[in-house]
Amino acid sequence: MEKPFILHMFTPEKNLSPFDVNMALDAGWISTIPYLNIELGEVNAMVQDAIFSRSLNGLKRTGLFIGGRDAKLAMDMLKTAQKSMIPPFEVSALADPSGAFTTAAAMVAIVEQALSAQFQTGLEGRQVLVLGGTGPVGQIAAVLAAQAGAKVRIIGRQLEKAQRIAELCNAEFGEGKTGVMGDADANKATLMLEADVVLATAAAGIEVLSAEGVAAAPRLKVAADVNAVPPSGIAGLDPMHKGNPIAGSQSGAIGFGALAIGNVKYQTQHRLLNRMHQQAGTNDKPEYLDYNEAFAVARDYLGVRH
Amino acid sequence: MEKRTILHMFDPMPHTSPFDINMAVDAGFDVVIPHNNVQLEEINGLVQDAIFSRGAAGVKRTGLFIGGRDLGLSLNMLEAARQAMVPPFQVSVLADPSGAFTTAAALVACVEKVLREKHQADLKGCRTIVFGGTGPVGIATGVIASLAGADVTLIDPFNIDTALNKANEYNQRCGTTLKGTYASSDADKARLLTTADIAFCTAKAGVQVLNASVLGDARQLKVAGDVNAVPPLGIEGIKLKHFGEPLVHAVNAPGATGIGALAVGNIKYKLQNALLGELLTIEQPIFLDFTAAFQRARNLV
Repeated sequence: MEKPFILHMFTPEKNLSPFDVNMALDAGWISTIPYLNIELGEVNAMVQDAIFSRSLNGLKRTGLFIGGRDAKLAMDMLKTAQKSMIPPFEVSALADPSGAFTTAAAMVAIVEQALSAQFQTGLEGRQVLVLGGTGPVGQIAAVLAAQAGAKVRIIGRQLEKAQRIAELCNAEFGEGKTGVMGDADANKATLMLEADVVLATAAAGIEVLSAEGVAAAPRLKVAADVNAVPPSGIAGLDPMHKGNPIAGSQSGAIGFGALAIGNVKYQTQHRLLNRMHQQAGTNDKPEYLDYNEAFAVARDYLGVRH
Repeated sequence: MEKRTILHMFDPMPHTSPFDINMAVDAGFDVVIPHNNVQLEEINGLVQDAIFSRGAAGVKRTGLFIGGRDLGLSLNMLEAARQAMVPPFQVSVLADPSGAFTTAAALVACVEKVLREKHQADLKGCRTIVFGGTGPVGIATGVIASLAGADVTLIDPFNIDTALNKANEYNQRCGTTLKGTYASSDADKARLLTTADIAFCTAKAGVQVLNASVLGDARQLKVAGDVNAVPPLGIEGIKLKHFGEPLVHAVNAPGATGIGALAVGNIKYKLQNALLGELLTIEQPIFLDFTAAFQRARNLV
């Protein structure tokens, strides 16, 4: 009999996200085992414990998920997990803290596809503002857009924090090759004059772009908002919107709401979780999946050529 | 429909070992539930909670596992679980903290086999040293070997008091005759190895305990066993799958042989799998510790 699929789910938080547990079970994992309050220093031993009790075929049916709320910590844990493998004793791992990697990947891929389909352009050279962008979704969305060639600013309430987060993004997630900048809410009106794309990634229920802000954005093409809880993050953009025109936009901007993004996020996370155990029975090498693979999968799902 | 099989895994530590989780799933438990940060006083309540919700047929499809890192605590929990049963509402329990009982049982059984086949000797009276002897696997190895008649010294890498305390503690608990000492340098290790018949290396993963130069001081060494699978291995010159091959660096101990971590691991794996399986197949509840583990390991090798 084939061994059951086991997903070891690590989180530095005191709970796993039930969202991720449901996703893992629906992607075919049979046993999803929670490990809570995991510290970075424990990852090496936990991983080595996980890889030495199954045969090589069994290990292809074993995976590791890294959750939590902090993008840098999740990436550090993913890198540590990868280094802890003792080939050929190794398993695939996916990091998706707060679902941020798959959410950001879905958001940026949707925007890229809309730019291409509706405006015959791409992210290359576009001005992108990530509003409420200091959290994990904002950080990763900023990096993915920057890696695709956009000029990206993370906007937060405090200038200093926004700049610090931008530096973190460039150093930790952009591998020193991105030039994400940080700026303050106070400068938003000026920055909106140049913005082609707005990504709203603030906490639920916070409006980060008002109706006046939308009206005063002469170059705005696409806006996306991950907030599903009223009021919307962007005035005039409904959670159900899927490329609908944004009311009040003078530039004919279109908007994507939380449900449109959520659908692509769901498909992306499902495919990544699936991919980790579809290696079973093949000679494929284990994979270490983060926002980069999430973005590739989201682009693929949307049929974006790149 | 037949009820699914459930293994409740009690652990005094914050995390259950992923190793044990894999083993439990592969032994056929449909549902594996970790219970972490469990204290000894909580065992009675948790066990009774587990036995009263499935009926007489259901309890036969329910098992308990006790993990952790502390052998004494684990044995106390096993005893507390046994006393918490209310026949006919009772389930079988396996204690294997840090996998130490099954690893040690497999290690000693492998060494005993090579000793018999290559040296026509048994454990009785053999001068036996256990490096990493104050960790879970080291203590369990020492206890099992001592109960089989070996003259065992537990070796702590830093501190003689730690070694003496552990030896005393387990002598009182298990009726063994363990001694304790420390070896913080190669010179210490070489001195202890000179008079040893058997050396067990149960130090941390990735730590080389015996290098070539230390091995050169062995004079009467017959078998050395290693449980460290992470390079560098515990014994220089040994291979993971060695099972009685010559120890190339023990140049002054003709006939000295080694057992590598995968050879031990292979038996440990089969042993733990069999013990977990027994939880569900025996009519009467059973309470399995290192004694049961060693008994089964001897049959397996």
